[in-house]
Parts: sequence; C-alpha cells; structure tokens
Amino acid sequence: MSRRKTERRLLAAGLLALGALAVCLLLWQRRAALAERTEIILIQKALDDTDFWTSVAQGGEMAAEEHDADLTVMGPAEEQEIGLQNEMILEAIADKPDAIVLAPGSSEATLPYARQIEEAGITLVLLDSTMEEEAGISAVATDNFELGYKMGSYMKQFVAPDTVIGIVGHVEGSSTALGREAGFRAGLGEAQDQVAEIVFCDSITEKASELTRGLLEKYPEMDMIVGLNEYSAVGAARAVLELGLSDQIYMAGIDSSLEQIQLLEAGVYEALAIQKPFNMGYLGVETAVRAARGERVEENIDSGSELITKENMYTEENQKLLFPVAE
Amino acid sequence: MKKNLLMRFRSVRTAIAVSFGVLAASALLTYFIVSLRYTERAVLENSTEYTSQLIGQVNNDIDSYISYMENISFIVASNSDVRDYLFTQNLGEERKAELQERIRTVFETVSDTREDITNIALLPDGREPMINGGADELNSYTKISELEWYQRALEAEGQAVISTSHVQNAIAGKYDWVVTLSRSITNNASPGVTGVFFVDLNYNSISDLCERISLGNKGYIYILDRNGGIVYHPQQQLIYSGMKDELISEVMETDASSFLTGDGRLYTISRSEATGWIVVGVSYVSELMEGADEARITYLLAAMLLLAVAMLLAFLLSDQITKPIKSLELSMKEVEKGNFSHVALEVRNNNEIGRLSRNFNAMTREIQKLMEQSEKEQKAKRRYELKVLQSQINPHFLYNTLDSIIWMAEWGKNQEVVKMTSSLARLLRRSISNEQEVVTIEEEIDYTEAYLTIQKMRYQDKLEYEIEAEPDIRKEETVKLVLQPVVENAIYHGIKYKDGKGLIQIRGFREEGDIVLQVEDDGRGMDQDTLEHIFEKHVRDTKSNGVGLQNVHERIRLYYGAAYGLSFESEPGKGTVVTIRLPGGKGEADEQKEN
Repeated sequence: MSRRKTERRLLAAGLLALGALAVCLLLWQRRAALAERTEIILIQKALDDTDFWTSVAQGGEMAAEEHDADLTVMGPAEEQEIGLQNEMILEAIADKPDAIVLAPGSSEATLPYARQIEEAGITLVLLDSTMEEEAGISAVATDNFELGYKMGSYMKQFVAPDTVIGIVGHVEGSSTALGREAGFRAGLGEAQDQVAEIVFCDSITEKASELTRGLLEKYPEMDMIVGLNEYSAVGAARAVLELGLSDQIYMAGIDSSLEQIQLLEAGVYEALAIQKPFNMGYLGVETAVRAARGERVEENIDSGSELITKENMYTEENQKLLFPVAE
Repeated sequence: MKKNLLMRFRSVRTAIAVSFGVLAASALLTYFIVSLRYTERAVLENSTEYTSQLIGQVNNDIDSYISYMENISFIVASNSDVRDYLFTQNLGEERKAELQERIRTVFETVSDTREDITNIALLPDGREPMINGGADELNSYTKISELEWYQRALEAEGQAVISTSHVQNAIAGKYDWVVTLSRSITNNASPGVTGVFFVDLNYNSISDLCERISLGNKGYIYILDRNGGIVYHPQQQLIYSGMKDELISEVMETDASSFLTGDGRLYTISRSEATGWIVVGVSYVSELMEGADEARITYLLAAMLLLAVAMLLAFLLSDQITKPIKSLELSMKEVEKGNFSHVALEVRNNNEIGRLSRNFNAMTREIQKLMEQSEKEQKAKRRYELKVLQSQINPHFLYNTLDSIIWMAEWGKNQEVVKMTSSLARLLRRSISNEQEVVTIEEEIDYTEAYLTIQKMRYQDKLEYEIEAEPDIRKEETVKLVLQPVVENAIYHGIKYKDGKGLIQIRGFREEGDIVLQVEDDGRGMDQDTLEHIFEKHVRDTKSNGVGLQNVHERIRLYYGAAYGLSFESEPGKGTVVTIRLPGGKGEADEQKEN
C-alpha cells in the first residue's frame, strides 16, 4: 500500500514538474520577447542637415538595427545651443533609457549634466568630444592627433627651407584644437619650427578669413596655411582666393563640406583630412549597447580618419566618405 | 538487456508504468525533434524561396531601369537632330542653335517624365556639350576624358555600358550619386568624329529599392557589379573602413543561388543577365527562426502535455492491469494461510486475468471442499475408532474379574461377590448401552468408581482410593471415558510396582472457569524423560481397558480444543499427578465451534 502511495506521489511530482516547466517556458518566451531590446538615446551637438551629424545619426541607426536596440536621436538645431542640449539631456534621463550617447556641446557647461546621467545609473558613452573631466564609460571620437598628423605629414612634402606656415585654429584650448595642432606639428616633423603663428577663429568663418588676411599681412612670405576645422579652413581659403594667392599658397584643411570639396577639386586645397562620422555614430551606439548589456568596452575608441587629395577623392572608398548622403 | 532491466522492478505494475512512460516519452521526443527539424527546414526553404523572389524582383526592377536608360540612349543615338549636331561639318550658327534647342527639348522631356533620371547629356567632340535643360555646365576641374564611364563608352564602340554606382562629378556644382549608362555615338561617314551620350540614374532609386525590402530586422540586400565592386551596400562605409566584412568573392565564385554561412546567415543570390549585376539577399537564420521559436515552444508544450497524459495513462493502465493480479496475489496468500473464507475473487472482465481469476476461484472452492471433506472424514474416522475402542472392555480384565468372582463365590464371600458383580454390571452397562459420546462428570466418576471398586477388591490390601468432587461440577459434561483410563494407568504403572499399599486420590474442582479432574497416586512415579515421552510410548496395553492416555488426551482436544487435555507432574518414587482439564459449562458451544 505504501508503495502505491509512493508511486502516486512520484506521479504527482512528475506532473507538477512538467507543469512548472511549461510555465517557465511560457514566461521565458514572454520575457525574451519583451526584454530583448536595449533602449539608447543619442544626443548630438546638433540635429541639422549637415553631412556630419546626418552621417552620425545614420551610423547610429545602423548599429541600433544590427544590435536589436531602439535608438532615439535628438539634438538642438545648432551646435551653439548648449542650453537647449542640456535640457534635452534632462529629458533623456527622464526617459530612463539603458544608455545615452552624448556628444557634449561644451566641455564645461555640459559636464554637470553628464554627471546627472551617470548618477541616474544610465550608461554614458561620449561621442565626438570629451570634457574637462573624465566622464562616461567610454569615449568614441576621432583621434585628433592622428587627424592633424595625417595632414601634417602630407603637407610636409611642400615645405621648402624658406616656407612660412600659418595655422587657423577653431577654439583655443579645446581638446580637438590642441590635438589637431599637435598632430599637425608632429606630422611636419622638423618643419614644425617653420610654423609662424596659430590663430583662433572661434568657429566663425568670417573671423577666420579676417585672421588669415591678418596673417598674410603680418607674414607676406607665408606660403602654407591650414585650417583645423571646417570654419577655419573655409575662412582661410576664401581669404586666399580673394587675395588671388591660391596658386602661391599651399593649403589644407580638416573636414569636408561641399565648399571644401569644391575647393579641393579646384586645387585651392592640397588635401583634406576628414573624419568618419558614420563610423563614429555606429561605434558610439554599438559601444553604448554593449556597455548597457554589461560587456566590457574600451575606454577610448578611435572612429578613424582619412586624408583626401584631388587624386583619390573619387575612389570607390573615398567618394562614400566625401559624399555620404545621396540626395 | 531490456528484460533484465524490467526485471529489476519489483512489481509488474511499476515495470508496465515505467516502460509505458519511457516509450511515450521517447516517442514524444522523436516527434518533437522530427517536427522541429521539419519546421526548421520548411522555414529555411520557404525563406530561401521568398528571398529569391524578392531579390529576383529587385533585379527585374533594376533591369527595367537599365533597359529604359538603354532605350533613351538608343533613341538619342539614332535621333537625326543629334546625329546632325554631331556629324554635320561646317554647321551654321543658326542651324546649330536650332538643333541645340531641339535636343534640349528632348532631354527636358526625358527628365520631366522620369524623376529618377538625374542627368542626361551629350558630349560631342569639338562642339558644345548638351547637358540637361541647358542650365548645367561641365565641371571645369574634372577631365571628362579621364572618367571611367567615358573611356569605357569609347571602348565599347556604340554599345551601351553601365557604370557602378558613383558620384557624378562631370557637372559643375553637382555631386550626385548615380549609375551612369554611357554610349559613344559614331558615324561611318566621318570616322574620328564622335560623341558620348550618357544618362544618369538616380542612385536613390536603386538604394530605395533595396531598403524597401525587409529581410527581417537585421537582414539586408546588397548589389555587386560584374567585377565584384559594391554598387549598393547598407554598410558600405563600415566595409570600406574595415569594420565589417562582406562575402564578396564567395558570392562571385559560387554558382549556387543560395548558401548558408557558418554563423547562421542565409545568402540568396540573383544574377542579372542584362547588367551583370548580382543582387544578394542576406537574412539571419535566427530571425527566420523567430516564428519557428514560437512553433518550437508550442511543440514543446504539446509534447509536455502529451507526456503528462501519457504518464497518467501509464499509471492508470498499469493499475488497471495489475489490480486483478494484485488481488489474486492477496487471495493466494490468504489461501496459503489456510483461510478460505472471503478469498473468492470478483471477476470483472473476460481477459486472461479474468479467466485466471475464475480458475483460481474454482480451484480454491475445490480445495476448500476437499479439505472440509477430508477433515470431516478424518474426524468421523477418529470418532469411529475411539468409539470402537471405548465401547470395548478388555477381555483380560473381564476374565480376571470373573475369575475373582468365582474365587470369592467359592470362598463363600457372598457380600463381596454381590459388590463385585454389581460393579462389573455397572461397568458393562455403561460400555455397552450408552451410545452418546458425552456424559456428565457424575456418570464418569460413577463409572470410574465401579472400576476402582473391582480393582480394589482384586488387589485387596494393595489399593486404596478416595474421590472428592465438588458437587457443582457433577452436572457438567465431559467426553466419555476420560477419568477411568487415567486411573487405570495410575494403577498399572504407579501402584502396581509399589511395595505396600497404594493410594489413588481423585479430585474434581473448578479452576478459572474450567473443570479440573486430578488423579494423584503415590506410586513409583516417573522421571523427566518418561514424562516427556508419555504420549508417544503408549502402545496398546492389552491388559488395560484398552484406552490409552494418548487416546484420552486427543479426544479431549478434538472435542474442546488445544487448550484442554492432560498434563502430568511426577517425581520418581513419590508418585504422579495427572490433571485433566475440561471446559466448564460451555462444552456444547466449543464443540459446535470446532465443527
């Protein structure tokens, strides 16, 4: 009789185990269906129609799609609207995403907001620029030294013993300006002693033109001018063109706006060192997804750069970089 | 092996339940795996088929774009205005302007009707180029003759050539992503004078085509040109940066229309004869299997449910099968113990077990009948035997007694002759006339006393006796002839061998509800060994009344049960006490129970 009881108990236990397994299975399935997607918010310096930020957003979306993440891209209409970007950071925190990818508008003013992201327990990945203090689990940006170095080492071939070099920078003391300048000088090698002066235009094209004219007045024999970002490079080129000196002065710049491309095609620039914004957006979001899922990520990730000359600008690889968006 | 395994279970029930359960489980597992396999294969096949159709459609759409462009190029190449503009020597300014106007109208019509045509242009040798509606100019910084599509058009000698996707930098201020169809237009009449016509297809019309098609969340489409160059790839930039790899040479080399990679990507390939382009659909098996996942879980749940039912069935079925066997076993055990009441089995169905049960019932009934019969026969035989025995008076005893009477009569001892003769008469009457088996204690004592009277007279000074019986036991009943044989035994084995006078004391009393008759002699007694074997060595004593102690003991037990009978106490040289224990006042009932 007792054995019968044991058997009955065994049977009941078996049925119970089966039932429990079934319930677990259903729960697991539902959980897998619900919890699979990671939520990421990408806050750019600007959500405008420039190639740069459009490419960043496209790269981010591609990464999100590939890694089963939901991506929201936000950003002020213009890069200068730092206050607006900070408000957006607060909004993003309120949304409680798994990670925020932030391209800080200011290395000072954005910092406390970045801290708030971290305090809210949200994974923070910095994009494009870093800030005064270290923040975030990782920073995905162009290696600015490398960018400057590529430009410098290319321009070195045009340096004669009597060459006088001028640099038009964008924001004095900014991490990008410092890195690019150092890289450019290093690329020049010994010729870096021939750099006469560096001026800063605060990312205003007109100011860059003005400063360039000033430099040329101050150093009439100056025959090499480089710009450290789009505004500085375009401003400098415009001034040189206006003065009709484009044949005498070797020029190079960083970034690749349409105007810059045309200037390269026209032979005003010898070369452009360009970033890879698509890759930056892709890597930024990918890193954020991985970090949010608890994977180890590298602290600093270089999104890459390329040196473009008139000769290689239409190669298969480079035309995709220079003209990322097919209109 | 299997048999051995099954033998390990101690009951058939467990063996049946377990084997049935295991059978069901393995059948279900097989079903589960097979259906999974089947589903997966079906899903994969369906997906391949579906993807093939999709990318085939993409290829068709591209082909139709290209053939449209080819048509345009053909129309333009054979257009008389165009040919006049290209090949007429010494073209007058007026005529030239007229032709240009006409060509412009043609171009405008084309670009107006088709938005996906970005540029349409004619580049003659030595004359002004005709570009779109006339608003555009050639890019002065671009050397047209170095452009690939231009060179290839010249090489193709009048055949249309299709470029891969590229940025069209031939036109000033515009950098559109396009696919260029170019064609050189030649004239046999004036060799050397040529022109190149090209038409640009907006790249977006191709990329849209590819992006519109969804191959799951992660799946995508890409296009290679005939040389393996990328025409379209959603991750083109990542590939150029070396951050992503794409299977290009594999796709170029394979002849198959689809293949599966080790990391679970399904490549489906469609080649276009017209363009030489290869449209590749990449889908992720894991995504394709998402529907299969659901199916998988459904299968698993179904399998589990079935398993539960199977387990329940196994339990119930084995129960059902073995229940009759179990009750058969229980009944058999009862029979083994000799208990025949309530062993009959209820037969519910007519299967093997039912027949077995029926046979068992018949068998036990038969055995029971036989046993009862044999018991009855045995009892009857025994009683008959005893009856025969008890009804006899030993002829030796009779002879000796009669001899004594003769001697006493000769000596004129009338008184004694009367006494002995009457005692003998009492003895004989009881032996002969009384047919009943049961008598009162009174009668039993009376009979014994008659016997003792005779013996005392025969042995004269050697024997003395005393009888003390409580009056209230005298009406109780006993089996006939129990006291006298004990007394006889006391005389022949106790007193007879004693020197001098022997005393026999008979006592009757009640003890704990039983009736006890004690016969005590002061004869020579028995040692322990003799006592232990007292019933065994009782061969018929020819000199005695013929009823041995064993006979007495057995009869009492036969009538009243094992609790009753004879017991002995003895000491050599001092005498023996024989105790006869009989039931008090309930002899009738016990007797019935025995039967």
